[in-house]
Amino acid sequence: MKQQKFVRLFMLAAIFAISLGCAEVLRAQGALPKISFRDRHLANGMRVLSAVDHSSPTVAIQVWYHVGSKDDPVGRSGFAHLFEHIMFKATKNMKSEMMDRLTEDVGGFNNAFTNPDVTVYYEVVPSNYLETLLWAEADRLSGLTVDEPNFKSERSVVEEEYRQSYLAPPYGMLEYLIEQQSFIAHPYKRPTIGSIEDLDAASLENVRAFHNTFYRPDNATLVVAGDFDPRQLDAWVDKYLAPIAKPSTALPRVSIKEPERTAERRITHFAPNVPLPAIALTYLTPSEKDPDTAALRVAATILSQGESSRLYRSLIYEQQVAQSADATPDLREDASVFYFNLVLASGKKPEEGERALLAEIAKMQNAPVTAAELDKAKNQLVTNEVRQRETSNGKALSLGEAAVLFGDANRVNTDLRQLQSVTAADVQRVMKKYFTAANRLVIYYLPKTEQATGHLKSLEDQRPRVAGGQGR
Amino acid sequence: MRINRVGNVALISLALLIVLFVTSLGAKAQSPQATPPPPAPPRSAQFPKPVEKTLANGLRVIVVERHGSPLVAAQLLVKNGAEVDPPELAGLSNMTADLLTKGTEKRSATQIAEAIEALGGSLDASARWDSSRVGVNVMSARIGPALEILSDVLRRPTFKEDEIERLRQQTLDDLTVELGQPGSIARYVAARVIFGGAPYGQPLAGTPQSIARISRNDVVTYHRRFYRPDNAILVLGGDLKSANAFKLAQQYFGDWAKPSTPLPVLPPSKLPASASPRVVVIDKPDAGQAAVLLARTGIQRKDPDYYRGLVANSMLSGYSGRLNQEIRIKRGLSYGAGSTLDTRREVGPFLASAQTKNQSAAEVAALLLSEIDRLSSAAVPDLELTPRKAVVIGNFARNLETASGLVAQVASLALYGISFDEINRYITNVQGVTASDVQKFAGTHLAVGNASIIVVGNAKEFLPALRKQFPQVEVIPVAEMDLNTALLRIKQPSK
Repeated sequence: MKQQKFVRLFMLAAIFAISLGCAEVLRAQGALPKISFRDRHLANGMRVLSAVDHSSPTVAIQVWYHVGSKDDPVGRSGFAHLFEHIMFKATKNMKSEMMDRLTEDVGGFNNAFTNPDVTVYYEVVPSNYLETLLWAEADRLSGLTVDEPNFKSERSVVEEEYRQSYLAPPYGMLEYLIEQQSFIAHPYKRPTIGSIEDLDAASLENVRAFHNTFYRPDNATLVVAGDFDPRQLDAWVDKYLAPIAKPSTALPRVSIKEPERTAERRITHFAPNVPLPAIALTYLTPSEKDPDTAALRVAATILSQGESSRLYRSLIYEQQVAQSADATPDLREDASVFYFNLVLASGKKPEEGERALLAEIAKMQNAPVTAAELDKAKNQLVTNEVRQRETSNGKALSLGEAAVLFGDANRVNTDLRQLQSVTAADVQRVMKKYFTAANRLVIYYLPKTEQATGHLKSLEDQRPRVAGGQGR
Repeated sequence: MRINRVGNVALISLALLIVLFVTSLGAKAQSPQATPPPPAPPRSAQFPKPVEKTLANGLRVIVVERHGSPLVAAQLLVKNGAEVDPPELAGLSNMTADLLTKGTEKRSATQIAEAIEALGGSLDASARWDSSRVGVNVMSARIGPALEILSDVLRRPTFKEDEIERLRQQTLDDLTVELGQPGSIARYVAARVIFGGAPYGQPLAGTPQSIARISRNDVVTYHRRFYRPDNAILVLGGDLKSANAFKLAQQYFGDWAKPSTPLPVLPPSKLPASASPRVVVIDKPDAGQAAVLLARTGIQRKDPDYYRGLVANSMLSGYSGRLNQEIRIKRGLSYGAGSTLDTRREVGPFLASAQTKNQSAAEVAALLLSEIDRLSSAAVPDLELTPRKAVVIGNFARNLETASGLVAQVASLALYGISFDEINRYITNVQGVTASDVQKFAGTHLAVGNASIIVVGNAKEFLPALRKQFPQVEVIPVAEMDLNTALLRIKQPSK
């Protein structure tokens, strides 16, 4: 289902790995499933991670390119994602959509997603097609031959993706604003979907330049998980991928640092199609590689996973001030953004929602979470991860994330230890450290029909007319 | 002793297909590197085999082992859902299911959430068409405590007034948000257009008016009538031994008393005598995109044409299906177009849909119509049919790879009284569908002469073009839309 691909949070789900038992029941049961993997570094700089699992006669193939929307060329926001779509068009030896012939037509599927930091392509096929897909991935890494009509048609698809993800759903534009307004200097301030003006300005020459710059073996990690023979895999990798030359040019990397926030910022945005008013609070938090990440993950889980979470229980169940309430640690490579979004219950004012939410944040700062809450959050995080690893494709996602984004493939098997060691004091400490007034952005997202009553300044003028998306 | 893994189905068909495919590509080969290497011989797939017992109280218990991951999924199905909601109380079954987890004789709503979430899981209670369900998915070591909670909420809910009022408010707000989505509006309208006042025509979660009417007594009565062991099925799947599963079922559900009253006998629901097709526009001027839907009746789950229908639908749907080929891939008009043949106890809907910018809604409506029509007017070439069958088979096999997918599949067979042997016959059945079967199915069950068109969006952008194709188009401003009746329009107050 390419049409539903992207899902930014997809990546977040994969962050913590399992290795040691956490709760006592798990220990009683013995070791948790561990991913045994092999890690090869080819001479051309490409990395190959692989994990055998014969439980189904299928295999998942993923190629992680370390390039995301933060690397969009200047004046070309949305380009990394548009480019991802173009990777399914013609290559040296494949016609447009041939990837679908090699996957879907034999009972498999393919897809891809782009986020601020990476672009990931994946296929799941009956395992006897592994060699075919390695050939195909090598071919599109070697070069694209897309023509103008195909390029333009796919660009229209991306514009429809933008409309479907951000304009049609009632709170799509709030998501967009959270991305766009949370950063002021770092290129993360450009939402991955981009803007229509920039997409329309994109050319085939940009496509070639982007491929030359970022789609190279030393910027790629191949992950293979499922039913295969490791020696055969090695031979096929040597045959198809190892011969691709590494360019001599340096890989450009974003070096801009997002400055610390120094004072609260408030935005009011009036939009069409807002059934109930909504608010969002965003806080900058460090890179996902920072040791505080584990405690922030636990905090988010205690705040908003399930009906026993603090936000559900207080804001939705007891006070009935919100229709929905979420806390999301949007973890990224250079700097992360931890955001809350509330849709208000009917008849409630944004100020009431904000007050109630700030009170819940203050509670997390003023007293440690209970042992039961801490244990529950760890169990929820472990179970989520085990579910993700039920399929080969999910397993490969966990491996790729550890290797490419965390910089250490072993973290697929060691991160859980770190998660298990998070204490109530750690949670309280990170809540105090990051959830300050000075580090806060507040967004009120209100129906256009209320605009006449003179709320704060509207962002309407800055709103892009159209933008891009994130999946194929 | 383990009773499992009997099924053994070779994916030979797929091998034949790729050989064919690679040969055709290979015709232009310049060098070995220029064409894809051919596949290796296929490996066989093994599908787990369900085993079952019926407890003394009539509860049917089904277990399907799969030991790859340390997870167990369990689903308790009551064999009735929204289709038995009285017309004026649409949403009753859904509210009843939601209220199960909002308090029992021994736990409050908060205690229920705390108990199940402490196990790393959640209780998913919902009503659907033809069934109401409560499910859990937990690490296998915790399935016992999870089943105890599931049994408690299923059998001993208290349906407290304050919980009913709270849920009523939440449901109304949820509906307000949902009806902000053009796609959701279009699906609700489609159900009314196809099924009129028949049960499948009602909005499953109710309307603001019906939700306001539901009383505690309605909920208690629904629960008493339908939630009983001889009207229920328990399916457990994943990393547990069947003997242990049966023991747990007996422990937590064995003393669920069967009422002395007979099971309610329900008349089969009648379809409205083929209502004439309609073209309905819901004018929503603030819609950021238009939702375009083609809707008509499909088939029952037990229809002998079921597999022909699956393959016919696959010709149209999926990434490389004809709808997405024409609408997305060739013309860039949508992020995705597809169709669903939703088979139920009675005849369910067939829906084809795409979202597009408001200006191209009429063009997309015409494409949906012409592609579906083409399926019955010309035979499908085998070169196109074979890959679409592979898609159906591949999706089926992958759905069985997770505990929750396995349980959902088995639950669906059990709900409709279909033999589990179908799991191992599935591939053969799909393979047996011919091009002529597809064409006949499309002519009989998907004929566009009986299809309605629904467009939800900013009408001024597409109405002139749409009116040219469909002079009979009805335009309903979203503020005047009424999902309580097939008329779909609020009746004007009499003068």
